[in-house]
Amino acid sequence: MIIDLKDINKSYPGVVPLHVLKDINLTIDKGELVAIMGASGSGKSTLLNILGILDNYDSGEYYLDGVLIKNLSENKAADLRNYMIGFVFQSFNLINYKNALENVALPLFYRGVSRKKRNMLAMEQLERMGMADRATHLPSELSGGQKQRVAIARSLITKPSIILADEPTGALDSKTSREVMQVFRDLNEEGMTIVIVTHDPGVGEQTNRIIRITDGRILP
Amino acid sequence: MRNPIFDIENWREIGTTLAQNKTRTFMTAFGIFWGTAILALLIGGSSGLKHFMSRNFEGFATNVAMVFPGRTTMPYAGFNKGMELKLNLQDVVNIRRALPQIENSSAVNFLWANALYGQKKSNAQLTGVESGYDKIFVPIIKEGRFINESDNSNNRKVCVIGKKVAEELFGSGSPVGKEVSINDIYYKVIGVAAQTSEISIGSQLDESIVIPYNTMRNSYNMGSDVNIFLMTFKSGYAPGDYEKTVHRLIVNNHPISPDDPGAMHYFDVSEQFKMVDNVFLGISLLALFVGVGTLLSGIIGVGNIMWIIVRERTHEIGIRRAIGAKPRDIIIQILSESMVLTTIAGIAGICFAAIILGLAEHLTADEKGTIAFQLSFTEAIYILVTFLVLGTAAGLIPAIKAMKIKPIEALNDK
Repeated sequence: MIIDLKDINKSYPGVVPLHVLKDINLTIDKGELVAIMGASGSGKSTLLNILGILDNYDSGEYYLDGVLIKNLSENKAADLRNYMIGFVFQSFNLINYKNALENVALPLFYRGVSRKKRNMLAMEQLERMGMADRATHLPSELSGGQKQRVAIARSLITKPSIILADEPTGALDSKTSREVMQVFRDLNEEGMTIVIVTHDPGVGEQTNRIIRITDGRILP
Repeated sequence: MRNPIFDIENWREIGTTLAQNKTRTFMTAFGIFWGTAILALLIGGSSGLKHFMSRNFEGFATNVAMVFPGRTTMPYAGFNKGMELKLNLQDVVNIRRALPQIENSSAVNFLWANALYGQKKSNAQLTGVESGYDKIFVPIIKEGRFINESDNSNNRKVCVIGKKVAEELFGSGSPVGKEVSINDIYYKVIGVAAQTSEISIGSQLDESIVIPYNTMRNSYNMGSDVNIFLMTFKSGYAPGDYEKTVHRLIVNNHPISPDDPGAMHYFDVSEQFKMVDNVFLGISLLALFVGVGTLLSGIIGVGNIMWIIVRERTHEIGIRRAIGAKPRDIIIQILSESMVLTTIAGIAGICFAAIILGLAEHLTADEKGTIAFQLSFTEAIYILVTFLVLGTAAGLIPAIKAMKIKPIEALNDK
């Protein structure tokens, strides 16, 4: 089990507190390709943010690869994000003034890997994504599909235990979407655990397991 | 943990970030450049102004009192009013005996003189002085030496001529050792003197000829007359405190009424200098006030830019944190960037100011020398360090604030 959620609750404080996740119990095994699906506002993105240690939860227990993720210091959380998790976002979240190679290499900078080694490893990942010829291009010079490939390369460079993708095809046309999903399927074939949040049934179909979430609850 | 200062990766990261955001880098750098330059110019300018003003008083002791005679304004002991008082050596002896607080003093006599050397002629003020004179009124010795004690006690026929007199009589040649005729008596020139200040008694030293007091009164039949008496007091004693004593001593030695306000004058120069000191204090305070203001607005400017930069980069910070940057990494990155910028732009600003101040020094230079506008190295370092410390502190606040935002909120900030 790479992910184990027990009775996770999360609400956003406010005049009327918003209870977004209600008693979530979920396990995901190594090597799974999972889609979390739900309508807008169902809590699926919040769930993914908790899985990615980008957000905290109110009650329950979350084990990531056997480590209890609760009340972590920001430093510990940063380390776990760096070593265990690869993120892929809908809006790519590449740093716009860095070229493709530098963007892919950045996670290793925070690990203290030397520039030469970083760039070498980053080039390997870009080659794997078929983006080697775009290594020196800035994000603004790349198409949506190319940007997402760079983002996937960046998520892979740290050899994470799991890849979390938040609507990875949301900003792409259908053809590019299929290509990106093919990339995820290929990675999964190689044994990578991948969790994709989406509201697109077409994307869900291409995964091995679909977790549906409605109104903060996981449907059985 | 990696040490950010010795980590080449960190410097490369800063270099790329600064180089890739040229407009932002330039605007920040220009703000710092301008702040340091203005502050440096202000410090240099005010010290130049002070130096320019203080040059007018250079070489003149500030705790000087002068005693000079007037005319009686009331009849006394059978004498009509309007009688001219003449000080004499007895007065000088009395004052010196009564006031051990005197440090240096000199009786001084004046005469209008025609100086001749060969065919060349110069009209100058002839001043007879005692050996204490050059401690009260410090001359700049261009050549040779000044009048000393033994010149005076031995009635030597020696003279020190002013720079302008020397030029008139000797042109570019050296006057020392030559004999000049002053009102038909020959004197050997022992020195050439000048002054920088604008203060003078009668003519400027440059346009005077100075001879020993005793030589003067013997040569020109002046008896024991003393035209004026100059004295400085030891430190801790104010010249103004001894006016009454001096007045009493002089009244006792001459047939004048003790109540006569006009018969003698006691001029306390230190009173005048107090005013000048106040002006200097005013200049310093003004410079300090404007300087602190400039510094403050410069720092606020830097802080403001840092604030905007951090705001602008919240999303980028979110990305960096999502891929594993620790708060410390981010803060170090932001601060290192601002420190690198401040150092480079600050040095540039100080260099710019140094060039302007050097130019000002060059343009105001005259025959009296240059006016010190230029910053000292220490001052330059102080300015730089102040900007560095305060600028970094100003950047620290938004950086820490940025860390309070949860990574997910930072990521959603567009």
